[in-house]
Amino acid sequence: MNYDWSVVWRNADVLWEGTKVTVFLAVTTMAMAIPGGIALALMRLSGIRTLSIGSALFVEFFRNLPLILVIYTTYYILPVATGLRFSPIATAIVALSLNVSAYNSETFRAGIASIRQGQSDAGYALGMSRFRVMIDVILPQAVRRVLPVLASTWVSLFKDTSLVSVISVGDLAFESMRVRSQTFRVLEMLTAMAVIYWMLGYPQAKLVDWINNRYRVSE
Amino acid sequence: MSLDFSPVFTSWHFLLGGIGDTLALSALTIALSLLLGGAIGLARCYGPSGLRWALIFYIDSMRSIPVLVVLVWTYFALPIVTGVTLPPFWAAASALTVHISAYVAEIVRAGITSVRPGQSRAAFALGMSRTQAIREIILPQALVRMLPALGSILSITIKDTAIAAVIAVPEYMNRSQTVAGQSFHPIEVFLAATVVYFAILFPVTRVVDIIYARFAYLGRS
Amino acid sequence: MIEARSKTRGAETGSVPTVAYHDVKKRFGNFVALAGVSMEVRKGEVVCLIGPSGSGKSTLLRCTNGLELIDGGEITLDGEHLPNDWDGMRRIRQRMGMVFQNFELFPHKTALGNVMAGPKNVLKQPRKAAEHRAMEFLRKVGLVDKATSYPAQLSGGQQQRVAIARALAMDPEIMLFDEPTSALDPETIGEVLNVMKQLAEEGMTMIVVTHEMTFARRVGDWIVVMDRGAIVEQGSPEQIFESPTKERTRDFFSHLVWTG
Repeated sequence: MNYDWSVVWRNADVLWEGTKVTVFLAVTTMAMAIPGGIALALMRLSGIRTLSIGSALFVEFFRNLPLILVIYTTYYILPVATGLRFSPIATAIVALSLNVSAYNSETFRAGIASIRQGQSDAGYALGMSRFRVMIDVILPQAVRRVLPVLASTWVSLFKDTSLVSVISVGDLAFESMRVRSQTFRVLEMLTAMAVIYWMLGYPQAKLVDWINNRYRVSE
Repeated sequence: MSLDFSPVFTSWHFLLGGIGDTLALSALTIALSLLLGGAIGLARCYGPSGLRWALIFYIDSMRSIPVLVVLVWTYFALPIVTGVTLPPFWAAASALTVHISAYVAEIVRAGITSVRPGQSRAAFALGMSRTQAIREIILPQALVRMLPALGSILSITIKDTAIAAVIAVPEYMNRSQTVAGQSFHPIEVFLAATVVYFAILFPVTRVVDIIYARFAYLGRS
Repeated sequence: MIEARSKTRGAETGSVPTVAYHDVKKRFGNFVALAGVSMEVRKGEVVCLIGPSGSGKSTLLRCTNGLELIDGGEITLDGEHLPNDWDGMRRIRQRMGMVFQNFELFPHKTALGNVMAGPKNVLKQPRKAAEHRAMEFLRKVGLVDKATSYPAQLSGGQQQRVAIARALAMDPEIMLFDEPTSALDPETIGEVLNVMKQLAEEGMTMIVVTHEMTFARRVGDWIVVMDRGAIVEQGSPEQIFESPTKERTRDFFSHLVWTG
């Protein structure tokens, strides 16, 4: 059996494009899922029943479905439900954002709950409204506190972006497998795909470990 | 938008088989991952240093590589390297086990290190050997602390089996894709899939929460 | 010896008390925290609430500014009946200042940021004005050089003084202190009590829950002894400390110091 590893170098530009799409997907999704998660958490904690229950249902729904299913379903439902034509990448971002927002909402909910009641007492004692206390006192502390968890969520998200390849979004996984189909160099391309993900993901995992350690020391 | 679920009903028997495969793959993967991951986690904590470094590398690598990539590589590339071709179900079971064991190992390690060092010191002060201390004092406490994280591994595994659809494992996701393609009613088929997966996963997460709540007091020090 | 106070009660009949409690009741589930408390706090007075843990002293304080809502009776501020709902109390809270046992400074803001928090966010003062005001109050508590420090960089006593400045920056009519020195190292208790003494001498109306008996004797104008949600006895410092009439009060004092 002869291996031709040069196929990887010859298609490096395609793989690079795929990598850029992967990073773009992760960054855009997180940019939407952080405010999304905070909004859902605040809805859940608000005293308004419809918002609270709605948020809880949303979160429970997305936490109990495989992401790949969410991606497929979004792909078919979105054009029909909105009457607009979505590009695959836009569909991917919608599906990923909904999913990660649900997870982030639980993260922020726990973060908010971990702030001592005395802190909100102090805010109220100054005459702050519930809104002010949340915005000025609780959220700034909660966000700092959940940074390690958000970092882990980021790493998972980065890997999960590979699933959008099933709806033909040109991320790293899709492009690697496309080159494989075109060149029939299965082992080389699949190994290259694994190695590139490894090179991207390993430092990120180590960074998360470092953040966790640093956080624990200063606690 | 009018929905026509008839394709789902006409193919219900076919789809039902998919649920069986999903559950079988999940159960097998979880069982193997708990065993393998548990062993790796213990070796990571108590094994010789050379082995420990190798295991750390393996664990961190599985944290870096997506499940999809591991699945695809195991099914398409492994046969080329080893000459051994695994049927889709077994390729998926192996790939998922290798991937998820890394997470189980990390959970085991975290559980063990979370037990206060004072506990082992107290055990030694009573005259216990290292093995006795680990078996009688450390592991039982560590086990309770691992439960919530292990519970979430349960639901993660079931969700990951859906990805095995891409390597032709005839589990529920894969069969849904088949029916969707043939019937030209993808929305209805995937909405049905949503109901099925939710019906499987929701009870699992609830039961895990309840079990943990019952036994949480054992882990508090 | 304790000096006789000029601010004796009964000398100002007819004037409206700053805070009045009429048969105030509060329960947490089955636990009765306040079993019908009635008392008055007059303008410029320093009232010290003393008594064993769980006697309801902190609860009474927290009911005063609405951090807890009462289950019965009423509380008045300058004769005005206080609303018994959370949002309604917000206006009232702006007229009262509270200092907590655990300081509760906002860790993500500097000392200056903490003191500014009220004027800027609640009173909606412009930044520069709020900053200037905050510096004045930091100067008052002797911590102007720590304006840019974060709470984590300050000692307990310094943090509590910043907390006092933070409450004062809202220009309150009355200051509520909930065991302000209980969480402090002995060396730093003095600096906080000095600030409180200075405030009292300037005529601030204060309700202080405390275990610092020396402070209560020297600075307090009126002592209220509480136990199990009720007032056991109340009177001037001379009355309470020199000749307590109730058994329960004598019992409490005897347990304060271990004499073997």
